[in-house]
Amino acid sequence: METRPFETKHLDKWRSNLDSCIRCGYCYEHCPVFKDTRWESNAPRAKMIMVYGLLAGKLEPSTYISDKLSSCFYCGRCNAACSSGVPLTDIITDAKRDFQGTGFETPGTTTGTNTDCALCLACARACPHEARDFINGKIVTDTVKCQSCGICVDICPNQAVATNLSYGTDRSSLNREISTFLEQETAKAIVFGCNWSYYPDLQSSVMDPAEELEYKILINMCGGRLEKPLLLEPLLQNAWGVLVACCPDGDCEHDGNLKAKIHVAGLRELLKEMDIEEDRIQLVQVAHGDKTGFQAAIDTFMENLNKLGPLNHR
Amino acid sequence: MEKNDLLRLKNIVGKKNVKTDPADLYVYGSDSSVHSARSWAVVRPENTGQVQEIMAFANKEKIPVVTRGAGSGMCGQTVPVRGGITLDMKRMNKILEINPSDVFCRVQPGVVDDDLNHALKPFGVFYPPTPASSRIATIGGEIGNNASGVRSVKYGATRDSVLGMKVVLPDGSLVTLGARTRVEATGYQLHKLIVGSEGTLGVVVEATLSFVPIPKFRCLGMANFDRLEDAGAAIADIMASGVVPSMLELVDSVAIKAVNKTMDLGLPEVEAVLLYEADAMVKEAVDHEISAMQEVCKNHGGTGLTSSFDPKERARIFLGRKKLFPALSKFSDILSSTSLADDMAVPYSKMAETARTIHEIAERNNIIMTAYGHCGSGCMHTKILMEPTRQDQWESARKAVAEIYDYVRSVKGTTSAEHGIGISKASAFKAEKSDSLDLMRNIKKAFDPNNILNPGKLMDAHEDWVTATDLRYTVA
Repeated sequence: METRPFETKHLDKWRSNLDSCIRCGYCYEHCPVFKDTRWESNAPRAKMIMVYGLLAGKLEPSTYISDKLSSCFYCGRCNAACSSGVPLTDIITDAKRDFQGTGFETPGTTTGTNTDCALCLACARACPHEARDFINGKIVTDTVKCQSCGICVDICPNQAVATNLSYGTDRSSLNREISTFLEQETAKAIVFGCNWSYYPDLQSSVMDPAEELEYKILINMCGGRLEKPLLLEPLLQNAWGVLVACCPDGDCEHDGNLKAKIHVAGLRELLKEMDIEEDRIQLVQVAHGDKTGFQAAIDTFMENLNKLGPLNHR
Repeated sequence: MEKNDLLRLKNIVGKKNVKTDPADLYVYGSDSSVHSARSWAVVRPENTGQVQEIMAFANKEKIPVVTRGAGSGMCGQTVPVRGGITLDMKRMNKILEINPSDVFCRVQPGVVDDDLNHALKPFGVFYPPTPASSRIATIGGEIGNNASGVRSVKYGATRDSVLGMKVVLPDGSLVTLGARTRVEATGYQLHKLIVGSEGTLGVVVEATLSFVPIPKFRCLGMANFDRLEDAGAAIADIMASGVVPSMLELVDSVAIKAVNKTMDLGLPEVEAVLLYEADAMVKEAVDHEISAMQEVCKNHGGTGLTSSFDPKERARIFLGRKKLFPALSKFSDILSSTSLADDMAVPYSKMAETARTIHEIAERNNIIMTAYGHCGSGCMHTKILMEPTRQDQWESARKAVAEIYDYVRSVKGTTSAEHGIGISKASAFKAEKSDSLDLMRNIKKAFDPNNILNPGKLMDAHEDWVTATDLRYTVA
């Protein structure tokens, strides 16, 4: 990779904002990248500290730092949680600009396209950030514009698009988590929680022994992006039920909640046809920040599920 | 650090749990304080055995080890002033046991405070020390600096809730301290000594904590005071009256202005506001406590008295206090909110005088300071709002901090109520505890003869906090 002297052209304007960051760390608990790894270097606060270090000349630009700064799903929850009102995701975008300008372009959580791409351009048309373009016969992602929302991943008919670093939110990671959890004796349900909504339960700690837990919350990029096979997978592995969370009507910029509703309704219909209680799959719409509401919905779901009992495959 | 040393560490915890990139070391080199320094490696153990191996190795090679939880400390406790290993405990995050019949739980040090309370809630109990940072603060970190919070006036600080612990000593040996019983009179209570020792004596790998029932009734009241002195007198009278508030908070005029300026909450611009809360399992008990506190406030000229049991109304009343922390951080584009002289405790009768003195010192030194806090515990919080890129502002802050602590000592107060000493309060701590420093050094030596655990802190910290480490700001 050819690099040029690092210029902080876009980052310069954020110096005073970075001084006002009190480094309280309240952004941690909201960040899916931090939660997946629990390395502080992946937390939003760390991204601000790294940018500060670059501006202050205390850190040399590197591929490593570029990769850290490119790993953000732009859920914006760190912005909302910031005690000092620092616009973290704007600063992250400008950091990506300056790294790109210097030749340190790293993919991070942005999406890439593999050779299965049929060049249908559906992803380019669907991208709300105009980050995907057809250049020199192939689909190219602008890693500065890309906000890792995953709509292109969802829309690709050939499954040729993938998030470079998924931090546990991709299909195979979710499948792995489902299998691991359901191996435990007391495991009863999988709850799919949307990254864009708040979610309750233990955030950075675990119960030991973990088998005492009846359900596990798995974070995904959007309730609408969970295909039917993935939603059915827990039931095939003897789970008692599946709860899918998505944003309330009107809150999703790409109708993910609508898609989630359609998927869940279809599966409920399927269960009915198979003479299985349809309430084993349910959908809950959770407003941003409504941890209490989400927990209440989970509790009600589990109460009902315990009444239904285990799923006897017929 | 030599390549072989890193290989040894990687052998213990696995390659992916050791970081040495300059970016990682820079990130892990600061916390919520003004300080910055870099360790040589960040290492994440997963279990007690690994901690024992790391410590035995570090002790043999005389490599400093600084234990770290969430890195939310405000005085530089986890800033590695002498390099070495930063021991990140966040992987040891298991809640090992919740035992409702014997009223204790056992946790690993990386468990987050709010997570523990979430797990305890179905049992109808809670772990009460809970600092404001409970959403990220780890139990290990809270033990390190004896954390407390708004309800500590009734339920005590971390030390009061820790029944026992397992600790890895610098030579790698494992000791079990304390017990699982409510009381213990079996020799030195060494687990109580570990609480508040800021990682200088051993590495806590498991803690046994007590919990208390969640009260069924809770009522929050508020009173406005035109004179700070009247609010101070009300605090002292409430605490002397036999009432046990579950919260008693003071918010001063600077803090009220900050909240109004940044949040537009329309709080009454008086000299002081008192927030008082009572909780109990029966409503009558709460009624009794609340009316007693209201009576005291009224007697001292308190106005606008209001109180509520309703959770939504309580949240509305508490909003100004809750938003204070972010309000101070957003007070001005050019001023930064720094944690300096931020949590002294003074006798109840000196609360108002302390707040007044803080304002005078700030004005004299051309900085902005506010005074607020958990007055029921005697704790006064402040923030210094300053331009951190200006050298003269640091000189002013240095002077103001010294003057404040001179005053605190003069009224027989103490340097830190709940944030600990670290680097920024070390000189004040040493001045306050001058006749017991040698004893503390001897205790440190008995635990840690090679001085590898968080060296350069507490009694061995640099005298001048401004030059003790790099400041995390770029000072012109």
